[in-house]
Amino acid sequence: MKHSISIFWRDRENHYKLLITKCRNCGKSSYPKLKRCPYCGSTNVEVVESKGRGTLVNYTITYFRVDGSEAMLPKVIGLVKLDEGVKVPAEIVDVPDLSSLKPGLEVEAVLRKYSSDDPHGLIYYGLKFIPSIIKKQ
Amino acid sequence: MSRCCVKTGVVGWGAYIPLYRLRSKEIASLWGFDPNVADSIWIEEKSVASVDEDAITMGWYAAKYALVRGGVNPEDVGAVFVGTESKPYAVKPSSTVIADALGISRKKLATDLEFACRAAAEGIRLAVALVSSGSIKYGLSIGSDTAQASPGDVLELTASSGAVAFLIGPAEESVAVFEGLTTYVTDTPDFWRREGSKYPSHGEGFTGEPAYFHHIISSVTMLLEELGLKPSDFDYAIFHQPNGKFPLQVGRALGFPKEKITPGLVTPWIGNTYNASALLGLAKVLEIAKPGQRILVAPFGSGAGSDAMSLVVTDKVLDRVHKAPTVEELINRKKYVSYAEYAKSRNLILRNVG
Repeated sequence: MKHSISIFWRDRENHYKLLITKCRNCGKSSYPKLKRCPYCGSTNVEVVESKGRGTLVNYTITYFRVDGSEAMLPKVIGLVKLDEGVKVPAEIVDVPDLSSLKPGLEVEAVLRKYSSDDPHGLIYYGLKFIPSIIKKQ
Repeated sequence: MSRCCVKTGVVGWGAYIPLYRLRSKEIASLWGFDPNVADSIWIEEKSVASVDEDAITMGWYAAKYALVRGGVNPEDVGAVFVGTESKPYAVKPSSTVIADALGISRKKLATDLEFACRAAAEGIRLAVALVSSGSIKYGLSIGSDTAQASPGDVLELTASSGAVAFLIGPAEESVAVFEGLTTYVTDTPDFWRREGSKYPSHGEGFTGEPAYFHHIISSVTMLLEELGLKPSDFDYAIFHQPNGKFPLQVGRALGFPKEKITPGLVTPWIGNTYNASALLGLAKVLEIAKPGQRILVAPFGSGAGSDAMSLVVTDKVLDRVHKAPTVEELINRKKYVSYAEYAKSRNLILRNVG
């Protein structure tokens, strides 16, 4: 599956950063970046960047083949609760042992390759998560 | 102090070593090498980048934590240099991807540098010059490589993956201040990779005396003469590490005892990370050094050239070490893979794609 280069490029900020919408009206946070609060509908929102750390809520494993990332299978797809309080679906990589994937596992965001059009095409980068190298104090 | 590096230093540093390791004895056994070959060059295992990692992703991680350790806003970085000989794109800079992903100012210099394993050291020299002249406040030099080696080549025992980044800035904010920098380069055909070639070639024994040893000895001797220092004035000495043996040999030739070299060794446990090799050694030493101690670091790049740098550690180092993963933590975080998994990760298997 070939990506649209222009769509990916326009959206690159959302691939490179975890941008959270904080509502100044109701005080709730949401993900991804939105112009309107999904809880109260207010447009009085600000966008803040997550520090990229959180804990694993749960995960599943997919064997679904997508062109350009076949060599990355199988993939662990997790739900991560960021330290800022919002939940983000994301790929979890560098898992030494599936039995270590338990709710509450500390994780951190890393830049990785999502896929590549072909050996001559564009490489698409974005954030995934790994088990945290530095543990919380 | 040399005029080349007035009032500049290392404000922050970051490192990255992939999770996966391949034992060198497995490579030696597969390709029918003498069983003692790995021991003879002191290489126990090497780091292997995952299938979704490359010089850009590893460089991003190291640079991110260089900024964290320095406590510097990415918007204040005025130059980003990426030293690599494994650029994901032959044409399209790695530095712009890393800078944009980290939120570094768009008003900056950004370029990829190539000089085999010493391009990132040249990036440090460029950043030092820019900071020293007042052109920028902070400059970032990143060394990142997924080192290539033809399957079955003796180079495959050591060629590995890793990254390191140094944030250069004002001396008053630095964990280590530059005292002097010298560079020695010549046209020496010890190691090369032609346009379109997937793997590098090397001049066998020619990589030793006329290349590695001659250039490092020359750059270090020039530095010692320029600063009026002796090997005994240094607490640590770090040399480029194509294997575990060469840095000890070149140190002995220059008069540095083994005890001053081994704290900065990384290659026996992660392999030769090319542009990150000696500089990961510097990062490892910064994580144990005490204020007032003096460090010599001498990267080397084939083709060939060597930079020698003298740094004096400040008291600011103490509270910055544990703001990011240490080299020791990254070395100890590992999972062993088979040669087949390594071949898949490093794209050594020919298959139909696209």
